[in-house]
Amino acid sequence: MSPAELSQPIEQGKSETPSSTRSLESRLKRKTSGDRLFLRCVIVIFIAAVVWAWRHIDMSFSGLIAGVGDVRNLLGRMLPPRFSDLDDAIRLGFETLWMAVIGTTIAVVLSFPIALGAARNTTPHPVVMAVCRGIIVLSRAVPDLIFAAIFVRAIGIGVLPGVIALGLHSIGMIGKLFADAIEQTDKSPREAVTSVGASKWQAITTSVIPQAMPSFISTILYRLDINLRSSSVLGIVGAGGIGFLLQANLRSLQYDEALGVVTVVFVLITVMEFFSAAIRATLLGGDRTLVGRSTPRASLGSKLFSRLSTRGSESATSSQRFNRDTVRPPWIGELRMKTIYGVALFILIVVAFRSVSLNPGELLGAFPDVWKVITRMFPPDFTTARQPIIDGIIESVAAALVATFMGALISIPLGLMAARNVAFNKFVYLLSRLFLLFVRGIPELIIAVIFIAAIGLGPVPGTLALAFGTSGFLAKLVADAVEEINPTPREAVFAVGATRNQEIATSVVPQAIPAIVSNLLYALDINLRTSTILGIVGGGGIGFILFNALRVLKLQTVGAVLITIFVVVYAIELLSGWIRKKIL
Amino acid sequence: MAMTLPDNVVQVTELSKKFPNGPLALDRVSLEVPKGQLLSLIGLSGSGKSTLLRHLNGLIQPTSGTVNVLDTNVVAAGRRELRALRREVGFVFQAFGLVGRLTALENVLSGSLGRLNGPRFGTLMYPKTLRREALENLDRVGLGDQVFQRSDTLSGGQQQRVAIARTLMQRPSLLLADEPVASLDPESAAQVMDVLFRIVVEDQLTVICTLHQVELALGWAQRIVGLRDGQVVLDRAVDNLDQEAVMDVYRRVEPGQKVSEGQDLTGSPSTRVS
Ligand SMILES: Nc1ncnc2c1ncn2[C@@H]1O[C@H](COP(=O)(O)OP(=O)(O)O)[C@@H](O)[C@H]1O
Ligand SMILES: [Mg+2]
Repeated sequence: MSPAELSQPIEQGKSETPSSTRSLESRLKRKTSGDRLFLRCVIVIFIAAVVWAWRHIDMSFSGLIAGVGDVRNLLGRMLPPRFSDLDDAIRLGFETLWMAVIGTTIAVVLSFPIALGAARNTTPHPVVMAVCRGIIVLSRAVPDLIFAAIFVRAIGIGVLPGVIALGLHSIGMIGKLFADAIEQTDKSPREAVTSVGASKWQAITTSVIPQAMPSFISTILYRLDINLRSSSVLGIVGAGGIGFLLQANLRSLQYDEALGVVTVVFVLITVMEFFSAAIRATLLGGDRTLVGRSTPRASLGSKLFSRLSTRGSESATSSQRFNRDTVRPPWIGELRMKTIYGVALFILIVVAFRSVSLNPGELLGAFPDVWKVITRMFPPDFTTARQPIIDGIIESVAAALVATFMGALISIPLGLMAARNVAFNKFVYLLSRLFLLFVRGIPELIIAVIFIAAIGLGPVPGTLALAFGTSGFLAKLVADAVEEINPTPREAVFAVGATRNQEIATSVVPQAIPAIVSNLLYALDINLRTSTILGIVGGGGIGFILFNALRVLKLQTVGAVLITIFVVVYAIELLSGWIRKKIL
Repeated sequence: MAMTLPDNVVQVTELSKKFPNGPLALDRVSLEVPKGQLLSLIGLSGSGKSTLLRHLNGLIQPTSGTVNVLDTNVVAAGRRELRALRREVGFVFQAFGLVGRLTALENVLSGSLGRLNGPRFGTLMYPKTLRREALENLDRVGLGDQVFQRSDTLSGGQQQRVAIARTLMQRPSLLLADEPVASLDPESAAQVMDVLFRIVVEDQLTVICTLHQVELALGWAQRIVGLRDGQVVLDRAVDNLDQEAVMDVYRRVEPGQKVSEGQDLTGSPSTRVS
């Protein structure tokens, strides 16, 4: 069992996963020549856009080679990592974890009613549905680091703005996936419960929610993973967590210390992924079909944890003894597991609040301030910083394009090597999977901060960092897409005596192309979101204007920047979603 | 139930239903069902059987016509009245309608939601008296050993029996069953029908049950009503019913062949028994 198998797709949302949740039917569908033409057009336009973007941000091969040299220099100064303030790092590491827990908790609490309002089959009114969907779209389009930077100005430096930022931004994904899960429930139990005379809300709580529960749990765990990555960089803008320490070490040029902090972050994220995979496997064990491929493959952790549950579960199928007078469910098997996890979760949340000395009252008290800052952004002022905003957003889009392209160049061969059915030998396979795990264990923004320290300010280091980060998860998606392809044409090609490389070129790659292009577009979508915040750490793009406007409290300009980001990010998301649907 | 019992538990007049961009699913259907009758509704798939049943407890609103069930005007009823009516009317679905992740007991308990206010999460949120009642009902359908088993681990026949036990929690006076055994193998089907029939007799229920197995309908019901294309084409007591008349309900009108007979069936008073 390789550790890489523990790793879960991180950046890809379940409902947004292009390659893995595609229905068999659509994969078997014959591509018409029109579809193929469309696919070719998409590829040509994408390459043209990349060429333009490459020039726009002054990327050059010589610069690239120089950049690689700079990074090697910096790595030289980073190695070996030093852990002189390890205590501090660990303390802040835990703070980061608790922030992720609290932020996710806030998001779940807020997302639940929003999802009920946004799902077609539970919404009380079409207007409510529109409002809830609007909130989901808005909160997804504004990166959490931007929320955090704004809230730090509103309520001061500390953990509080950080957790509120995580909470508000996570509503986007959690609310959307919750609503999807609610809409996907079977409607016959609900009809049955309604016909016994249950009210609408009784029917929803009794028949809809239990059906959606496995998906809810899976979404929450998944978001917790993501929030842990996010919370480890929030410190950069003063919103708590370990990012602050990293920033301080880099500022004082203590690169070996910085690498020590990065190591702590890496360990934290990897351990968390391990646990969430294990919890997912146990809690959702009986519902694997309900949550589909998002459940992990068997892992060490899941084995460990499932031992706990199987001890009691054999009795779940035979007749159980229980008191016929009280008719209480016997506390064994699944029920026991759920109770244990429920209590553990509750304790975890309490500990989280305690550890960062935050009380829920304080949390609620911050919302009026947050609201006040948000209202002060209106009406947005587009005129004062008109040109910088336009230049900034164009630079962000260009950086995202180049990063996606470079990420693809790295990740397609990497992904092929990490695909079980292509890998040349077990060693290459393991090595590639390990590399992926390593790259994915470090948040992109941390990579960006390091690259900027090495190369200097500007869009080029930001883009490189983005490309590096993208290659990790893109390669994972490519590997998964390749592992899923139909084996028959491959056998046919082998049968005529083709060599391995010929075989990969003629049968594997063409089959996987629509999925790979789709993943590329998806990566572009994500890279654009990230590239809008790179400016906050000096990586160019619109984030820089945002950060400056915040510093001098020109909130109406901030409003204008936010709206610009929202419009562009949302437009690209719609476009890439539309293309993806068409080519798959 | 009120002291003055209506003679007819169900009274449907000139009921028509047109689904938006759909067919005319029911075409001027009239039906009276006296208390205590066991009625079987037959017809080809798509003839409107489920649609008719769903009108009787207000799951669907008609395009025109009136529906009176247990003295309630279903069409005019508000939300509260409708809930009160549904409490009295048991409904057994072809697809069982169980929440697979919940235990058999919890599914049965959900049958008492009409009597309770507010949502319920989990078995222990139902009062002990209801838990005992649910257990008794599971015993009654022969599932006393599967009380705390997850419903989706039960066989199809067992699941339908859980659904029947859920309906019993309502203590219904009218039972509507929509193809209760259509998705079961013959053996489980027979078992489920036995359980259902025993309960119906013991509790003296009025029953409207759609079936597409004619033999089952003939052996079981007192009266057979046949639907075709949303129209009532047969309505007779079982005692004076011959196999031929029943099979006519299923006969398709084939162009150029027996056209007159087909037309005769839809319009002829001979198949309508008052
Ligand atoms: N919700 C609906 N929307 C549109 N058309 C429907 C709907 N339910 C049923 N129908 C149509 O009404 C007709 C009668 O269906 P149904 O009552 O289910 O027939 P049966 O139960 O006899 O098979 C069919 O043509 C069916 O397609
Ligand atoms: Mg039907």
